[in-house]
Parts: sequence; structure tokens; C-alpha cells
Amino acid sequence: MTPLAKNSPKERDNALLAAIAAGDRRALEELYLSYHRRLARFLSRFTPRYENIEEIINDTFMVVWQSAKDFRNASQVSTWVIGIAYRTALKSFRRQKNHNVANSLEDYPEQTVDPTSEAEVRDWLKHGLSRLPMEQRLTLELAYHMGHSLEEIAVITDCPVGTVKARMFHAREKLRQYLPTLGGGASELPARIG
Amino acid sequence: MTHNRRFENSAEHQEVSALIPWYVNDTLADPERQRVDEHIGSCAVCRDDLAVHKRILEAINAQPALDYMPVASLKRLQARLDAAQAQAASPPIPPLEPSRSDAPWRGWMAASIAAMAVAIGLLAADRWVQFEVREQQPNYRTVTTPIPRPQGEVIRAVFAPNITLVELQTILDEAQLKIVSGPTEAGVYSLASNSTLTVRSSLALLRRHSTVRFAEETLPESESGNSP
Repeated sequence: MTPLAKNSPKERDNALLAAIAAGDRRALEELYLSYHRRLARFLSRFTPRYENIEEIINDTFMVVWQSAKDFRNASQVSTWVIGIAYRTALKSFRRQKNHNVANSLEDYPEQTVDPTSEAEVRDWLKHGLSRLPMEQRLTLELAYHMGHSLEEIAVITDCPVGTVKARMFHAREKLRQYLPTLGGGASELPARIG
Repeated sequence: MTHNRRFENSAEHQEVSALIPWYVNDTLADPERQRVDEHIGSCAVCRDDLAVHKRILEAINAQPALDYMPVASLKRLQARLDAAQAQAASPPIPPLEPSRSDAPWRGWMAASIAAMAVAIGLLAADRWVQFEVREQQPNYRTVTTPIPRPQGEVIRAVFAPNITLVELQTILDEAQLKIVSGPTEAGVYSLASNSTLTVRSSLALLRRHSTVRFAEETLPESESGNSP
């Protein structure tokens, strides 16, 4: 544990990244250990295989190691690291798509569903999430699982704020079409979705 | 309904509606939050959207989160960094002597042939050395290395690479063991007894789990101090 640990997380991350830029391997290890849990939890929502999760995290930190000197404080270190993880994950998921996603979609029926219990709603929602285009799902998970603000998601995904809002809007609309009982006001849905 | 439709077409409605996800995850700045609060009070459509987003948020966070152990993954990252640094530090291949021939392509061709010959020679030598090494060494690696045993170690175990911290702790608690060292590069943990339970009993409890890939006693029962 370095003396940096006593600072705020933001200060600690900045100091660690500066040390990494100077070639300090121990600083990289400390940053890795402080982000591993958060990233692994996030990525485990997309892939159950830890080998894939580890590959994405380690690829992310290879980039952190190589690019730390290019960090210009335009964003927080956490947003920068998660942005690298986002792009690495997106590439990895697209690579796997041909092998996995085609099969997984066949597991779920196409029609909308009308579950009754809360547990059923959660279960169908999980299926609904897996049917979303990856960018839309990542946006939703960055907001609801990771708790990022609109502006942070725009930085992480390297998109304008308007694109983030649009992705979130389409994700919600698809989930509502798939699962009308989500909103409670299902009777108004056909008019709204068109 | 007519009232809501009028709202739906207004710019205010469109803008506030797009902010609802971040109202739900509590990351809006105060002025924006206040704006959503005011609009929701008079817009049933946005109240409905709010309910949808709250249910999505609840469903996402209701799923159990798994914690994975980072140490083994970090070791693999370190190995990648070592390999990348070693590659970067290796001396560059010196350029070939410029040809004195009048026709430059003849020189390049000669250099290419020479390089190929050297490469083939090196490849053959490498294959021969690998063959010799294989002949001399066993094709397996033991985990019972002669390194000094950590204090109190009674069992060595290897767990599935995707085991979570919670799962590992549950298994160790059940077998009344604690980690005294590890994981090694091969993923081996040294475990010590945490109670008066016999080593054999702890071992049996460990082996019940499919996530325990390997578990062996490292001391004879009589020397472990936990004999029945």
C-alpha cells in the first residue's frame, strides 16, 4: 500500500496514473487492484465466462500502461479507464457475437410477454436486456449498474450527449415493447410506440 | 389523454423525458432535478416513464454481483508486461551490408537467400534443442515443489479460475481452513487448519466442491497435529 491511499479516490487515481506514466509498475498494480472488482462486476453482466472478463480487464490495463503518458486530465481517471474498458469490451463482444449471440436469441420467444410476479418481470427483463443492441445495453448498464451521469457516459462512450440520450430512449422503448407491463400504463403504449 | 398528448409534443416534455434515466440514478444536477420534479407533477406520460426506468434499475441491481479474485489475473497481466518489455528491450536486427553489385536487386536477392538460410538453420537448431530438452525432461510439472512450506500449511489446493471470493471463503469456512500463502504462479494455495477438525475431514469437505480442482495433504497425518 502506497502513501497515496490516504488521499481521496480522485487524487489517488491521478497520482497513480502520473506514476504509471513515469513507468512505475507498482502503481499500475495498485490501480489494477482498485478497479478490478468494479470492472469484473460490470463485465460479468455481459459474459458469464471469467476468462473473457479477465481478458478484457487485462487488455484494458495494457492500454492504460501504454497510454498513461497521453492522459491530459480532460476527464477523471475513472472515466478514462472505464472508457478504455468500454471500447475493449465492445470489440470483444462483437468478436464473440457470431459464436454466442445468435444462439442465445433463439432461446427466447419473439412475442411480448405479460409476467405477473415481480420475480418474473426481473427474469423477462434480463432476457429483454440481452436482446438489445450492445451500445444501447452498455449505455443502460453504465447508468443503472455503474451509476454514471449522462456527461460521464458521453465521455466513456466517446459520443455526444444527444447520442447517449437517444440510445437510452431506444433501449427503453424496446424493453417496453417486449414487456408492456414494465410501465404499469400499458393501455397507452400502442399509441405511443406506434 | 389529450392533455398528455399536448405535453408529449412540447419541447419541454421531450427534454425532460430524456433526463429521466439520470433522475432515477440520482446523478442530475440540482436545477435539472428540480426541472424534472416540476414536469413530472403535471405529466402522466413522464410519470409512467419514471416507473419504467425505476423497474429497470431495480431489476438490474437485484441480480447478484459476483466478486472475482484479482491476484491470479494480475499475475497474468504482469507476465504480459514482462514479455512486452523484453521484446521492446531486445536489440534491433542490424541492417544488411549494402551490395557493391551494379544491379541492386542482385544484392537484395543474395541477402534474402542468406537470411532464409540462416533462418532455416536456426529453426532446425531450435527443433533439435527442443527435442533434446523433451527427451531429457519429464513432460509434466509438479505442484509439490521443494520450496519451504509456509507456517502451518497442511493442505495445498487449486481452485477453479472463475471462483469468486465469496465462494472461496464459504468453502474455506466449511472446511475450517485458512489461506497462509498463495496463489503461486500455478494457482496453488497453501492452507492451514483453523480448528481441531482433522486434516482428512477438511480435505474431504474441500473435495466435495467442483470448484476445488486439486486438494492434497502436505504433511503426514501424524505430523499435522490434528490426528483423530
